[in-house]
Amino acid sequence: MIRVEGIHKYFGTLHVLRGISLDVEKGEAVVVIGPSGSGKSTLLRCINLLVEPDEGRVFLEGTQVNRADIRREWVRQQVGMVFQSFNLFTHLTALQNVMLGLTQVKGISKDVAATKARQLLARVGLAAKEHAYPAQLSGGQQQRVAIARALAMDPKAMLFDEPTSALDPEYIREVLDVMTALAREGMTMIVVTHEMGFASSVASRILFMDTGMIIEEGTPDKIFHHPEHERTRSFVDKILR
Amino acid sequence: MTKRLPWNRENRWRWIDTLLAAIVVIGALLYVYELMVGSRGLQVDYIAANYGQYLRAVTVNLYMTTVAFVVGMTVGFFLGWLRTIRSVPVKKVIRDYTALADASSRSPFVRSGMLALTVAWTGVKYLVRRIGDAYVEIIRGTPLFVQILFAWSILVVNFPGLFTNPSSVAFTAGLVALTANTAGYQAEIFRAGLQTVHSGQVEAARALGFSRLGAMRHVILPQALRLIVPPLTNEYIGLFKASTLVFILGVQTEITFVANKNAFAGHVFEIFAIVTGIFLLITVVLAKVVQALESRFRIPGLGIQQTRSERHRARPAEVP
Repeated sequence: MIRVEGIHKYFGTLHVLRGISLDVEKGEAVVVIGPSGSGKSTLLRCINLLVEPDEGRVFLEGTQVNRADIRREWVRQQVGMVFQSFNLFTHLTALQNVMLGLTQVKGISKDVAATKARQLLARVGLAAKEHAYPAQLSGGQQQRVAIARALAMDPKAMLFDEPTSALDPEYIREVLDVMTALAREGMTMIVVTHEMGFASSVASRILFMDTGMIIEEGTPDKIFHHPEHERTRSFVDKILR
Repeated sequence: MTKRLPWNRENRWRWIDTLLAAIVVIGALLYVYELMVGSRGLQVDYIAANYGQYLRAVTVNLYMTTVAFVVGMTVGFFLGWLRTIRSVPVKKVIRDYTALADASSRSPFVRSGMLALTVAWTGVKYLVRRIGDAYVEIIRGTPLFVQILFAWSILVVNFPGLFTNPSSVAFTAGLVALTANTAGYQAEIFRAGLQTVHSGQVEAARALGFSRLGAMRHVILPQALRLIVPPLTNEYIGLFKASTLVFILGVQTEITFVANKNAFAGHVFEIFAIVTGIFLLITVVLAKVVQALESRFRIPGLGIQQTRSERHRARPAEVP
């Protein structure tokens, strides 16, 4: 589904990604953990080409997408993304946020788009909030609208960049529930998160990243309870306590 | 209506401040009135008889200002957008393109051709951006008065056959100078507005599959425009007042009447009263209209100024 081969990324002289390779099967939910600055977010952004890798190849369903002759807009429509800071369009209501990509990128008529957007808002439990503006919603509600917005484009896979890190504790549950349901329905997902409960129950695999490299990967049980590497162990110790 | 302040220790000084300020302002006005009108009395019938021609003259100002403002806004937007673009070193452009092109299965001949085009395009963008920078600096750094004279002399010297009568050359020169001037200032307003929109908004739009232009049109501009309405209003009012400067070219505007009037010596106060009144009327009405527009297009829940209905409600507001 998603394959990444030996990607490198430099920000100026900073070597952010040092030869990352990754293969995600269809329907798999992969969780990425690691200390801040380890390149997790950059890895996600390299997959939907919000950031262009300097070296290496990115494949989507067997097609290499970081080529000069492939439209980046097309690639990003195939892969949905949810951000740490929600990034809902502040000047639009929840419904309009979900609709905008449908009407303006996919060229779907307003009526059809509105129907679809309402269904998606209902799916994330926000049917009653369709006319609210982002500033009138709680963090958890905003993030759920953001998930609906990404789902509206019918993505083949979803990327979550620390979706609950900016939330107050009482709102984390509702967002994780939506994500868990999504994973159960068979959505291919790559999730950067430090929610251990979510990772153990949903993830098929966990990757531990540090200094731009994948240090260790394995089942949640292996990474959390029997890590092989010293760096993994010390990091897991810190977040589990 | 504002709530009345109670007469206590904290507020007493505010009352006295206001009182003092009022005395100074009213006193100053009275002094000017006394100086100019004195014992002869204000000639209301002079104002009544003459305000019409000033009003007609001011339409020339309004017309020039509006045309210059709208054209300048178009130029200013693109210029401002251009100035937000980061410059990328040529080395990086080449490296990025090579990295991408190696993967595509085109012939080496086509690839090197495309590389040359990419580099050339980067060069053009850089050049245009630098010209934009220089333009804004020149417009900001020189007096409008000089710009008007400059535009006029360019038209007169370089296009002598284009205009048949001197008043149309003066009008065109004034219009060109005002447009060029406001374009430079509006470019800065737009640049500030575009740069204030949070980068996450652009990222979210791009992640949905919006092109650069699409993200600009549907996400950045709607937010940036709301932010820059107050400075744009300022610019319009400033331009409106500055448009009186074209009187030096002989365009019939309000100021020309003031400067040329035979009765000038006799009715100084009346003439200034008319002119001031007209200007204030137009700018204040405009400001009120813009204020209404602003609250109409305000994004609910955002910013510190809440709308009336929201003020007594707890946030986040409950939406049915």
